[in-house]
Amino acid sequence: MTLTRADFVGVMTNAVAGLGLAPDAAMVTFPIDMFLPGSDISPMEARKREFYDGLTRWRSALAGDGAGETPMVRVQGASAEDALARANHLMLANRWGDGLPLWPPTRARVDWILRGTARPRRQTLGAFPPRGGVTTVESCAVALAMAGGRPEYLPVLVAAVEAFLDHESGSEQLQAASGSAFPVVIVNGPVGAAIRLNAGFGCLGPDPQRPAGASIGRALRLLQQNLGGALPGLGTMANYGGLRYTNVVFAEDEASLPRGWASHATERHGFAPGQSSISLAFANGATNIRRRGAKRETPEEDALQGMHRMADFMRVPNLAGLAGYEHGTPGILMIPGVVAQTMAGLGWTKASMRDFLWEHSRIPLDHLRRAGGPAWIEIDTSKVARESLGLDPWPITASPDNFVIVVAGGGHPTNSYWLQGYSPGVVGRLVEASPAMETLLAEAERDLGPR
Amino acid sequence: MIELEFHDPSGAIEVKQLHAARLPTLERARIGFVSNEQWQAYRMLPKLKALLEADFPGIEVLPIDAFPQGNAVIGSEETAALVKQSGVHGVIIGNAA
Repeated sequence: MTLTRADFVGVMTNAVAGLGLAPDAAMVTFPIDMFLPGSDISPMEARKREFYDGLTRWRSALAGDGAGETPMVRVQGASAEDALARANHLMLANRWGDGLPLWPPTRARVDWILRGTARPRRQTLGAFPPRGGVTTVESCAVALAMAGGRPEYLPVLVAAVEAFLDHESGSEQLQAASGSAFPVVIVNGPVGAAIRLNAGFGCLGPDPQRPAGASIGRALRLLQQNLGGALPGLGTMANYGGLRYTNVVFAEDEASLPRGWASHATERHGFAPGQSSISLAFANGATNIRRRGAKRETPEEDALQGMHRMADFMRVPNLAGLAGYEHGTPGILMIPGVVAQTMAGLGWTKASMRDFLWEHSRIPLDHLRRAGGPAWIEIDTSKVARESLGLDPWPITASPDNFVIVVAGGGHPTNSYWLQGYSPGVVGRLVEASPAMETLLAEAERDLGPR
Repeated sequence: MIELEFHDPSGAIEVKQLHAARLPTLERARIGFVSNEQWQAYRMLPKLKALLEADFPGIEVLPIDAFPQGNAVIGSEETAALVKQSGVHGVIIGNAA
């Protein structure tokens, strides 16, 4: 039985469901106040019988097995518009939506989405944590249909879901955790441009001509909620939940990679150039960095100042980032192609940039101490992280190789972008080719207009 | 009337195992704690230990740190194996984070 907070009931029932148990559990809950420093814990004595009953008398109220076919639901309306409105209202009332308008995942629409893959619709990808919802190719198609997606996006979503479900991603804990982690999906290879994933101007935001990232990320989010149980305040205790409407899905601007610079997929995962792949990490923050100088800096000065400024943005006690201290990432740095070209011309490589950032983002130990950082580091499960307290200044990650540097963003040298990491791992997956891709892309050209 | 029929997106849950049977009594039972050691667990769990020991003759309540503590380890297979090996009849999990 469990002693927990009243607002954690959803988290706990998700967790037991994820273990394959009926989604209820013996719990004694108290308001958050009792779990704060200096609280009055005397209510425990008044309610001690509940603890005793939890160990001796409790019975699950849910005896049935919830597995089986996904049911269909029906709505009726006086007109097509009325039916659509009722469908949206039902999805919100049932906590299946995100508050924005949804496409009802009708059989026809889901079947259309499934044209994007040769996999059987019932193929199981795993149990979506923490609730443990059975995740199939069809459930990915349902989410993508709801999110306004298209069939050619499905292989990228399936690969992202497979990476998400990989234990190495840390998703099981991050789904429920308070730190507002959101998945970042970096796409490499020809599939990015083919399906109109944005790698340039506004690549993390809305773009009517390149809507793939928003739809894929929104579909992933709907799966996180509907199969994974990550409902705000019930199944996910994320204080803020930023960037969770669409998560972050973009393509690396491989066309702008300087000669000799490998793509993220090749560097981090060893995928061959020309292979389509995704890489999934988690972040908990996003910030724009004004990278460029303002006066008459030489190219060398401009580059060096920009590097220092980016390192300065990273030199913060992101203690959530300890989750990835050893094997994950402190974050994802996005630099536009024009900056990458200039840096490469000055002799910089992704590797030398990582070395620089690692060295110059280190935090003086006395600064870390005054912020209480060592207390979190001392209790970290990673021996490497714990032993890092012997280093002064303290490196924000165990190795320079952990920094992810991706060439992406509009062709303008002023800004770079830092997605602060909260990522136990960085998980890569190849994207399967869609057998109908040529036809699907022609239909996209017809529907969305020329590129 | 226009009818729209669509998939329930909440999917299915596969129940693979039953919850553990409850204990017939706490007298002479052996009880352990698994805790993330946060959120005042260091005060609350000893309180609970004292209550159990006062109310049930012969009960053995293991120290609150008998098993590994912390968010990252309390759900691990290694901790589960240690709990099983310990021979406890029941476990109280303290986890509010």
